[in-house]
Amino acid sequence: MHPVATDGPIITVEDAGISFSTGKRHRSAREFLFTGSRGQQVRQFWALRDVSFEVDAGETIGVVGANGQGKSTLLKLIAGVLLPDRGRVDVRGGVAPLIEITGGFVGDLSVRENIRLTAGLHGMTRAEIDARFDEIVDFAEIEDFLDAPYKHLSSGMKVRVAFAVVSRLEEPILLVDEVLAVGDAAFRKKCYARIEEMTRGGTTLFVVSHNEADLRRFCGRGIYLAKGGLVFDGPMEEALERYGSDSGLLR
Amino acid sequence: MFRLLVVRDLKVRYAGSALGWLWSVLDPLLMAAVYWFVFTVVLDQSLGLSPYIVFLLAALLPWTWFNGAVTDTARALRVDEKLVRSTNVHREVWVLRLVASKGIEYLCSLPVLALFAVLYQAELHWQVVLLPLAFVLQCTLLAGIGLLLAPLVVLVRDLERVVRIVLRLWFYVTPVIYGSVDIPEAYQAVFALNPLTGIFSLYRGTFFPGEVDWALVGISAVESLAVLLIGWAVFARLERTVLKEI
Repeated sequence: MHPVATDGPIITVEDAGISFSTGKRHRSAREFLFTGSRGQQVRQFWALRDVSFEVDAGETIGVVGANGQGKSTLLKLIAGVLLPDRGRVDVRGGVAPLIEITGGFVGDLSVRENIRLTAGLHGMTRAEIDARFDEIVDFAEIEDFLDAPYKHLSSGMKVRVAFAVVSRLEEPILLVDEVLAVGDAAFRKKCYARIEEMTRGGTTLFVVSHNEADLRRFCGRGIYLAKGGLVFDGPMEEALERYGSDSGLLR
Repeated sequence: MFRLLVVRDLKVRYAGSALGWLWSVLDPLLMAAVYWFVFTVVLDQSLGLSPYIVFLLAALLPWTWFNGAVTDTARALRVDEKLVRSTNVHREVWVLRLVASKGIEYLCSLPVLALFAVLYQAELHWQVVLLPLAFVLQCTLLAGIGLLLAPLVVLVRDLERVVRIVLRLWFYVTPVIYGSVDIPEAYQAVFALNPLTGIFSLYRGTFFPGEVDWALVGISAVESLAVLLIGWAVFARLERTVLKEI
């Protein structure tokens, strides 16, 4: 495990906000030149607004809320792949993000090369990769395909390789965004066991999921987001109740 | 991290091809052969200095690097959007690593220049020690252009096409197939503003010491540094917006 400062929270989110424009995604030069799209009102939509909380090392947190309420955006802010427009998000220590996990893989390269590259991109040193390579291959059950191009793997296999690599990063913080839904039952069981092993070892866990059973199993603390704001922050069970009753009302 | 990405680029480039790494030498060699055929066998022209093929390649190989790096860095964030979206590294790395990997390909193509220099018995001058300076200047310029274009292309996709056209024009306003001596007096001031003019004069100095023009090199150095600073500032300013768009 990489060294972490032991005093103070490991994640600090303070008045964090991020806005997206809801207009057309890509401004074309034609519009820009001829219709002067600069003058057009670009509507802003705050995916997250005034969100504040702190997380101590070793906490396990589940994020709940309906679709489009800012859950994944929050995870991306913590992963550092989005930057807040307001406030700040401080993360002390490395993050192993199980977000878009197959994104970094290159179809034309072999599985072996991909494992090394992705592990390196997420900050593993060469020596660490050497030491953990066999473990990763075992976990993904991919021995027979090591020299095949990554693109020839089935989609289930791809996710297995990706999960195996990211879950072996040994970072103090693990982010999980819905990936538990993929893979067959046997592999899912392995993933669960691996995540539990990590949280027992002191890893701070952040999970976004719609599966209440998963959330109850892994998370002690729940964060409930609605319309980009933090509605509730407390025990997981209560967060689920609040979310349940709110969405019950809506129906 | 940086090295890892450069190696990845080179691996991806040659993945699945039968000859693999050989292409990094073979490609410029075949290109040189075509230019040799066109400019010394077919066309009887009076441009540049003799031996013309050496004169041409001394600037054409760095131009190939320049052309490839600008094209690729402009699309850097767009093409690798999945990677950018899933890994938290200094975002500048996505651009800079392409300048480096294309630069390595340029270095791999130098034996081709050496081969023609030997065949045509071109004399090597002390100005060969200026090559690293030219290399560093070109890296600086490319890093600046890349950092400037990569985020802009994400926001205004049409720019990618514009870049390709501009590069085509840029090739003809840069002393590559001709030398600085061929530029009419009246236009010399305009050509001096092209940062590549000074940089390429350094490359050519190896075999044609008279080409090195320190005034031009000075202009290139100042411009390259300015472009780098502008590129860096633009990149930092647009980073937030770009991350939302990809």
